[in-house]
Amino acid sequence: MREGPTRRAGKLAALALIAIWSGLPILIVVLSSFKPPREILAFPPKLLFSPTFENYRALIVRWPEFFEALQSSLIVTTGATILTVVVTTLAGYVYARVRSRKLAASAFMMIVIRMVPPIVVTLPLFPVVNWLRLNDTHTVLILLYATFFVSLNTWIMKAFIDQIPVELEEAAIIDGAGVWQILRHVIVPLAAQGMIAASTFVLIFSWNEFLFAFIFTTTEAKTAPLILSEMVGAVDGVEWGVLFAAATLQLLPILIFVIAVQKYVIAGMTAGSLKG
Amino acid sequence: MKAMSTRVAHAVMVAPVQLMLVLVIGLPSLWVLWLSLHTTSFGQAPVFVGLANYATVLADPYFWHALVNTFVVVNVVVYVELVAALAMATLFASGVPFRRTMISIILAPYAVSEVVAVVIWKYMLEPDVGLISGLIALVGLPELAWTTDRWSALTLVSLLSIWLHLPFSFLILYSALLGVPKELYESAAIDGANAWHRFARITVPILMPAILVALMFRYVFAFRLFAEVWLLTGGGPARQTEVLATYLYRHAFRYQEFGVASAIGWLMVVGTLLISAVYLREMYKRMLSADA
Repeated sequence: MREGPTRRAGKLAALALIAIWSGLPILIVVLSSFKPPREILAFPPKLLFSPTFENYRALIVRWPEFFEALQSSLIVTTGATILTVVVTTLAGYVYARVRSRKLAASAFMMIVIRMVPPIVVTLPLFPVVNWLRLNDTHTVLILLYATFFVSLNTWIMKAFIDQIPVELEEAAIIDGAGVWQILRHVIVPLAAQGMIAASTFVLIFSWNEFLFAFIFTTTEAKTAPLILSEMVGAVDGVEWGVLFAAATLQLLPILIFVIAVQKYVIAGMTAGSLKG
Repeated sequence: MKAMSTRVAHAVMVAPVQLMLVLVIGLPSLWVLWLSLHTTSFGQAPVFVGLANYATVLADPYFWHALVNTFVVVNVVVYVELVAALAMATLFASGVPFRRTMISIILAPYAVSEVVAVVIWKYMLEPDVGLISGLIALVGLPELAWTTDRWSALTLVSLLSIWLHLPFSFLILYSALLGVPKELYESAAIDGANAWHRFARITVPILMPAILVALMFRYVFAFRLFAEVWLLTGGGPARQTEVLATYLYRHAFRYQEFGVASAIGWLMVVGTLLISAVYLREMYKRMLSADA
């Protein structure tokens, strides 16, 4: 369609507004983390400044636990992502290939269970987790994060495996392959895209999650968002520079990841919400 | 024999997912129902009290306060997002320059944790230095007194939620819109339909299923609202800004009233199921009737 100059200008203005709304707040935090502390509180904000690592040095000195928490976050995120992808690829395969009333009923139950608000299950799980001595461990977070995503991800995997022609499997069966060989040599290589799409959601969630970490960890297994929340709530006033440095370290890796796998995020979101 | 072992293999493959869901979410949810009918705290044997916990909750003015706050915030957030996402999706579907880069930028807040979002917005509203507070002063509006005023605080909570979740609503509507055949618009243009007509008569009806799905999911997730409120206001001042999830947290983990907290928890489960009832019924029909 041809566009007049007014229409085009209007579109550009709208795009600029959208970019400011979505991008500017993030940009401010990342840039400010490299500003000398005095200039952070300057208004109007200084656009030109000589970047410094002063805030990062202060973060290392005053909040060494933040770096342990980043490590915790990494362990929990990796664990939850791997667990989710493995179990949902297995289940997604069965839901894609086998039709039975029992399976349909269990799939429906999965959708219903997905509706339960996470905070509700903390009530009965809190004493159980204590009793099992899983309190303040990475294990409990991995299990919780993975479980809240197996339903969505089974769906995503089913949607992707649905697109793999059954004939490929039939050929493998004639060659004498069993279920596990088919999975390993036919399904996994062809469903790799789906596995990436499915893993993005649980990965982003686990890296950023607050509620479960807040309730189930006390010292050892604390994740980065939790230390950040302590920095925000510090009684002696917020030190913006240090806070921005920590926020940037927590945010930047996952932001780069999201942009890198953008196409899979979109594919997964559509497969997960519209088809199921 | 072969069929038998395949069936066993299939059962083994589905089992981990089912076990996780049942043990971590399913049974605990039912246990919450049981707990809500008992009074219990750390180290005490539970005593059956019938619906007394529900009576306590329903008689508590703070519960109604939290319910009203949740209701207002959820509705504001969900519908502002929907309108914004619809407008953005329509704009993008009509063709825009820098499409890929723009989508990356729109997607960016999806990567941001609630904690970092709170940091960002707190800073932007910091009196005298923040970008937004500066902007507000420039236009001559009164300061957003979110630390002291209930509705100012809830406005900030809503803004923050919208900022975090707009990418989700946008992507669902945008990808649905990409599936609309171009010919529909072309033939409508030949028939002399203007842009508004095309939007109202073609885009919206075709998008309706996606709109409903986006709405339902956003309702369900917005209803869980916890971290934004907890980190910004802690429910204060004087419990003015509590929402259901922070109200539940306070009663469970501050007051150790697990019975009362469970009653709220079960009310939240029922609320969520009501919100998603139409969607669930649709899924039930599609999955179980078609199969029979």
